[in-house]
Amino acid sequence: MNKKKLLSGPYLLWASAFIIIPLAMVVYYGLTNTEGHLTFENLLAIGTVENFKALCLSLLLSLISTIICLLLAYPLALMLTNMNVSQHGFIVLIFILPMWMNFLLRTLAWQTLLEKNGIINQILGFFHLPAVQLINTPYAIVLGMVYNFLPFMVLPLYNVLSKIDKDVISAARDLGATEVYTFRKIIFPLSLPGVMSGIIMVFVPALTTFVISDLLGGSKILLIGNVIEQKFKQGSNWHVGSGLSLVLMVFILISMVVTTKYDKDGEGGMF
Amino acid sequence: MKPTLVDLIHISKGFDGQLVLDDLNLSIHENEFLTLLGPSGCGKTTTLRILGGFESPDSGQVIFDGKDITNLPPNKRNLNTVFQKYALFSHMSVEENIAFGLKISGKSDAYIRDKIKYALKLVNLEGYENRLPDSLSGGQQQRIAIARAIVNEPRLLLLDEPLGALDLKLRQDMQYELIRLKNELGITFIYVTHDQEEALTMSDTIVVMNQGYIQQMGSPEDIYNEPQNAFVADFIGESNIIEGIMLQDRLVEILGAKFPCVDVGFGHNKPVDVVIRPEDVDLVEPELGTIQGVVSHLIFKGVHYEMEVQANGFEWLVHSTDMFPVGKEVGIHVDPFDIQIMNKPESEDEEAIGVNE
Amino acid sequence: MKKTARNIYLGLILLLMYAPIGTLIVLSFNSSKSRSKWGGFTLKWYRSLFQDEAIMSALYNTLAIAFLSALIATLIGTCAAIGITAMKAKWRTVIMGVTNIPVLNSDIVTGISLMLLFIACRFTLGFSTILIAHITFNIPYAILSVMPKLKQTNKRTYEAARDLGAGPFQAFMRVVFPDILPGVLSGFLMTFTMSLDDFIITHFTKGPGVDTLSTKIYSEVRKGIRPEMYALSTLLFLSVMVIMILINISPKETDKKAVSASAKKKRKAPLYQVIPAAMILFVTVTGFFHHLRTTGSVSEKQVIVYNWGEYLDPEVLDLFTEETGIQVIYEEFETNEIMYPKILSGAIAYDVVCPSDYMIQRMRENNLLAEINWDNVPNLKNIDPTYLEQSQSFDPENKYSVPYCVGTVGILYNKTMVDDPVDSWDILWNPKYADSILMQDSVRDAFAVALKRLGYSLNSLEVDELIQATDDLIEQKPLVQAYVVDQVRDKMIGNEAALGVIYSGEALYTQRENPDLEYVIPKEGSNVWIDSWVIPANAKNKENAEAFINFLCRPDIALMNFEYITYATPNTAARALIEDESIRNSSVLFPSAEDLKDCETFRFLGDEADSYYNELWNKVKSN
Repeated sequence: MNKKKLLSGPYLLWASAFIIIPLAMVVYYGLTNTEGHLTFENLLAIGTVENFKALCLSLLLSLISTIICLLLAYPLALMLTNMNVSQHGFIVLIFILPMWMNFLLRTLAWQTLLEKNGIINQILGFFHLPAVQLINTPYAIVLGMVYNFLPFMVLPLYNVLSKIDKDVISAARDLGATEVYTFRKIIFPLSLPGVMSGIIMVFVPALTTFVISDLLGGSKILLIGNVIEQKFKQGSNWHVGSGLSLVLMVFILISMVVTTKYDKDGEGGMF
Repeated sequence: MKPTLVDLIHISKGFDGQLVLDDLNLSIHENEFLTLLGPSGCGKTTTLRILGGFESPDSGQVIFDGKDITNLPPNKRNLNTVFQKYALFSHMSVEENIAFGLKISGKSDAYIRDKIKYALKLVNLEGYENRLPDSLSGGQQQRIAIARAIVNEPRLLLLDEPLGALDLKLRQDMQYELIRLKNELGITFIYVTHDQEEALTMSDTIVVMNQGYIQQMGSPEDIYNEPQNAFVADFIGESNIIEGIMLQDRLVEILGAKFPCVDVGFGHNKPVDVVIRPEDVDLVEPELGTIQGVVSHLIFKGVHYEMEVQANGFEWLVHSTDMFPVGKEVGIHVDPFDIQIMNKPESEDEEAIGVNE
Repeated sequence: MKKTARNIYLGLILLLMYAPIGTLIVLSFNSSKSRSKWGGFTLKWYRSLFQDEAIMSALYNTLAIAFLSALIATLIGTCAAIGITAMKAKWRTVIMGVTNIPVLNSDIVTGISLMLLFIACRFTLGFSTILIAHITFNIPYAILSVMPKLKQTNKRTYEAARDLGAGPFQAFMRVVFPDILPGVLSGFLMTFTMSLDDFIITHFTKGPGVDTLSTKIYSEVRKGIRPEMYALSTLLFLSVMVIMILINISPKETDKKAVSASAKKKRKAPLYQVIPAAMILFVTVTGFFHHLRTTGSVSEKQVIVYNWGEYLDPEVLDLFTEETGIQVIYEEFETNEIMYPKILSGAIAYDVVCPSDYMIQRMRENNLLAEINWDNVPNLKNIDPTYLEQSQSFDPENKYSVPYCVGTVGILYNKTMVDDPVDSWDILWNPKYADSILMQDSVRDAFAVALKRLGYSLNSLEVDELIQATDDLIEQKPLVQAYVVDQVRDKMIGNEAALGVIYSGEALYTQRENPDLEYVIPKEGSNVWIDSWVIPANAKNKENAEAFINFLCRPDIALMNFEYITYATPNTAARALIEDESIRNSSVLFPSAEDLKDCETFRFLGDEADSYYNELWNKVKSN
């Protein structure tokens, strides 16, 4: 048995070199200034009006996107589970396939769809309906987030739901529960690990994205992801950037604690 | 006879064009322990699921206590099910599991508390109220599943191979436990299993099923001693099934020898199947036997010896408390009332349709 | 009834998922280069795709990185999963916690943390750093997909195999591995897909000359995606779809015929192996062809060029390599502000860079530039001396820079949408055109507009003036449709906006595509800019860099570049070669001294003022 443990050696080396040390570097940069002195200024940079606004807006938009994703994905996952498709792989395929079209191109395609003279407005115009103004608004960003991260909500949900023993549901019905009551007391609580991991998988990337807000928000809407990206790629202030990243990581840590609490066995995974 | 509780009338059910139940008729009496016995795929679980309301039959009616419940959803039926793999709610404690049905029917907290206590005592699991199902052993989970069902005081309890996942010793204990429960509670049990020993031990009535048809229905003794066709004979216990010719009433020719028997009405010179249980084959001195043979195998089984005897081109299976060594010449004798004569089916299909006519 | 509702819902979700993909596929057959205009059906992008060296090499990088990272990650991940399962629960929790970091952590932090590590270790950013980064974020996915399968495996089977005389490795390969194979394969597929789709982490860890499709597309976003990209994505998407459908459909057929489980397994296994096999084949074949093409001109001599996006005719690079035998590694940036930190960090030793005026001053003042040896650049004689004179505002002794493109910033407007006279920046504050105004998405350009409108210098250091400008920009924001860089061009062509702030060089191209557009330098004055070639102080191939600059100053080459990018050239000899008289004498491209009397070049204002500008700009953007 001891020899088996050695097999994880390469991974442990890799993880410490490329996961732990880099994280330590972010912490180092985040807690020092350009002269290398210890400072908390970089963390406090989150408190400036602009950054705080960006953070709040990010939290708000990603929260809305997460809720929409959950509301869209849950019935979907239920339907897929009940469809009795023998091919588990087929379901996964439907939601993974779009990923083979580049993420940026997919998001960009929404520009073409949403623009003033875009496809959606042309279709609406054809039916003499009023045009919608979506592009460069927070709505477009939410749409982009929902679109891009929906699979990450659907797959864990589908996974936990399809693993629930049909007899457990039958048992609840047998004991007198109506369909609604069965859902509330049995199906939903049992699917919580999937719900949690879905929420994390949507909320975290949505919270930190800078590409979607760039492409669909017309650079008019500044999210915390954009602020950090600018600090690194344009403003060249790595210390403040790292500090802000650390603040972001607090939110991610909270999510990690939450998931491990609800998903002890890792059943809410994507696969 | 006790009054009828459930009537299944002309029930048919198919999945993907495959007929699983074909025109099934069955009456279950109040306070009866009825077992549906058969190999997997014989339709016994489907019958149970139709009773529970998890499947609806393609045609036919389910009458429960005089009312047609064919299209009633499971939650509106006054019966409960104990599932094969227990189907406990893993996110709820033992207490919450048991209280589930009671809460739905709006019972008072005090009543629920009393019931839980009573049910746990009944299944010998006092003090397990706050445990989670996953922390219990298989047998314990099984008993919680039973407790969860019986607290609702159903008229009818459906049990779907509830002991299938337990080991032999535990299974035997639970068999007695179930009989005790049934007697204490006075409710009707419908029990599904593919284990003939379980069926013989517990049931008042056994229904042997195969390929969607009822093969034979009767008390355990009837089923064991008077199998009505080769399938039942073969499925219940061990037997020697030999082709024979019914020469006349009370006389059958087996492997060239004439055996007196007690059966009548088969006609003259009619080919039949003859069933002789291994414990009914008496080994005697060669000259005393109806036919003679040589012992070819011998195994000690504890209660008895199991032997195989080559006689007239057939390998006889014999259970006896007397030991005859391998190579020994013996005579075979069978008492007339131990010989069971069955009509020979003319085709495979007929074998399945069997005895209902 | 319930079923219809369900089908409608599923249909809507699928529509949401696949609408953008359908759009992209349609665009790949659009003969117009602009995203927002349908110009008829064509297959030309599919043809030109395979001739496009840059795209093909990005494709090769993408596939190679995806394949290698998926392979290595699956290998390490599978071993790790086996090891971790054998550990005590306590350790397992700790390690799984670490494993979850890259999954749960945001891509941006993962990317940044790896970039910081690579730079601290003086790793040269390039193919290998992207690969390491991808392996890093892929391993957890591999572990997470193998782990559940391992838990399901019956531990006794391994012991049984050992008992029957198999060695530990043999027992694993023969008994355990087949059991966990589905997990390993789905892990491979998942990691391959994740790697393929990643942009953010690649964005932070890539080096010069190495592009994946994602980063290539991102750099193209700002100037308009080339339709070849749509064609390529369509091909990739469709081929994957066909493979996947084949895999998913064939076992289904056997199911129906109720073939025994073992037969089903046998049928499925080879098809599962088809994907990796096809991928290996594809990667090696493309790699082989890719190498065939490049090996023809392999040489020790190279020059690393860092230039604006779409700011040079790619043929010029081939000609240069042909004539001099010097290999060009070509990298593009979008704004000066993005370029500067890269030079400053020194992570990549560029040989030639093309910054704008004020940025050259900043680089010079921070000792980031090398003096050019003019003996190696005799073609300097072709450059209009007036531009060399103007260059002295940022390069006082003409020691560091050679002007490449010049121009002004002005307003591009659509005659059919604007009925007021356009001669002042004021029109960009006219509520009549709300939501039809495009502003530049860069600090200095945006402030230049606001400051000039108020009559101040665009190099203002007066706090009052700047705050006034900031307030004006905030006031203007609701009217602005979007802050963009090169996208102004496409949006104006597609009639998406009525007014846009744009560089004069783009005016010619946009007018050609949409004759309703007109370019104006507002009367308050504007920014006149010079983009010049410089050599960074840490350049490793300085002589090659000088040869490159000299080559670009040759009249015929300068003309080629002018025709490609349509930005005015300071090369008088080249201008004389322009055939079209209306262009040669265009006042938009080559404005008279009178037009430029209130115009200024940007100056570098110092780090402190710079960050003050940035702060104010952030205030505008976050408002």
